[in-house]
This record gives sequence, structure tokens and C-alpha cells, in this order.
Amino acid sequence: MNEDLLDIICCPLDKSELELDVRDRDDGEIVSGTLTCTECGEAYPIEDGIPNLLPPDMREETTA
Amino acid sequence: MDDTDARDVRETYEEIADHFSKTRAYPWPEVETFVEEEDPVAVGLDLGCGNGRHVAVLAERADRVVALDASRNLLGAARDRIDDPGMRLVQGDAARLPLRADSVGLAVYVATLHHLPSREHRRESLDELARVLGADGRGLVSVWSTAHDRFDADPDAETGFDTTIDWTLPDGSVVPRFYHIYAPAEFEADLEASQLQVESVRVSSGNCYAEVQSQA
Repeated sequence: MNEDLLDIICCPLDKSELELDVRDRDDGEIVSGTLTCTECGEAYPIEDGIPNLLPPDMREETTA
Repeated sequence: MDDTDARDVRETYEEIADHFSKTRAYPWPEVETFVEEEDPVAVGLDLGCGNGRHVAVLAERADRVVALDASRNLLGAARDRIDDPGMRLVQGDAARLPLRADSVGLAVYVATLHHLPSREHRRESLDELARVLGADGRGLVSVWSTAHDRFDADPDAETGFDTTIDWTLPDGSVVPRFYHIYAPAEFEADLEASQLQVESVRVSSGNCYAEVQSQA
């Protein structure tokens, strides 16, 4: 994930800003981390370089 | 069809993503024509991007292209296929977009709205598109319609119908996909009820197309 996405994306539930926490970075791209809603506190994972901003009720029930 | 929800549709595409992607290599001419006539924008959106077949088309007019889909496996296929420095992959739900208001200048929302499981979701999704399109933002929306040859339906009916259309994988296994096939009148009614401003609606090759703007 490119960090410049932060000025476009938001929480899918309340549309508030997201706070980025980077766990792993590769050549400038964020490979893994967490995006946390600054309003409702919902945490959205960045996995394999792609932010998962599905609402919680549409996420995998178990990790494949 | 009552037990079909948005997660089911996503899981369907997770399962068929690899094979589906191989059969969806080329952009639609209707999309190319629409985008070619648009002015350059900072941010384009391919809503329901699938394997990214329209990302390169949008990249001709947008510095960055947000490619959004509910299926992670399709996003993975897009990443493998598309080598465009402006592409930004996002996993999300078309009815609850994780994108800021007024963040998008040019959007294509092609062959995706008809997968949302209820009229309520579909109308919410059109309102979400209106929300993210900036004041001058423009979009193209397409759905499969009752006017298509394969459906034995009255194209002049007020509403379309829900159905399941099977996808057959190379190993012969069959995966059902939920569709709502739109009557053209219903497509127009849902657009009129939404926050979008409709510039034109037409039927082409069995699909309904609408060019839309955000309401000023």
C-alpha cells in the first residue's frame, strides 16, 4: 500500500479518518500494518500490501 | 435468494477469481469511449475493479486510480496483471465505501451493482458513489439488464428479477453467482432516487449504462 492513499481512504462505517500503524515496509510500500478509525476505533488490517477496508461484518470469519 | 448476502457474493469471487480473471482480459469499448471524453483528474475510481481490466483505461485520465473490490483474490489478480505506478488497490464494499467525500474525479462502476443482494444495498451504493464523487466528478454505471438476449423477460417491466448464474471452473465444479437483472425502468428509478444526477441512460449490448454526476 502506498502511503498516499491515506488522503483518500476513510472508515467505511463512519467515514472518519484512519490512523496508520506500519508493521512492515518494503521499498516504500507498506506491506503489513493496521489502519485504525480515529472515531469508532475499528481496526482494519493491511495484509500483503492491500488494505482490507471491508466492514467487519463482511470479513472472513476465519483466516484462510 | 433470501440467504444471499454481500459476503456470499464476495466469497463466490474469491473462489472463482483465478479462472474468472483469465476470461476478462479486455476493457469494454463503452468504458473506453466514456473515459476518453473526460478531462484529466487527480483520482480515478474503478469500483468493482475485478482483475483491473479498466485500470489502465482510467490511468489515461487519472494520476492515481483506486481499484476497489470486495474480493481479495481478484485484487491479487489485478496486481499480477496491471503494472501501473498509479494503481492503488483497496478491498472494500461497494455499498459502504471506505473513501472520503469528494475524493474522486472520475469513476467507472461497471458490472458490479447487479451483484448487490438487495435493492436497499444497491440504492445505498449509488448514494455512496455520489458522496465520493467531487463537485465536478463524473461516473459511468452499468448493470446487466432484462434487455439481454439470454433472458426471456419483458424489457418493459417495471422491475427486474433476482437470479443465480453459474460459473463453471476448469475442473467442472460449478459456483453460483447472485445477480439482480435490472429492468431498464428500474435502473432509471433507482438512479433517480439516489443522490446522483443522471445525465444520460441507455441500453447497449444487453447492459444498461448511465452517465452520472454528483448533485451540485
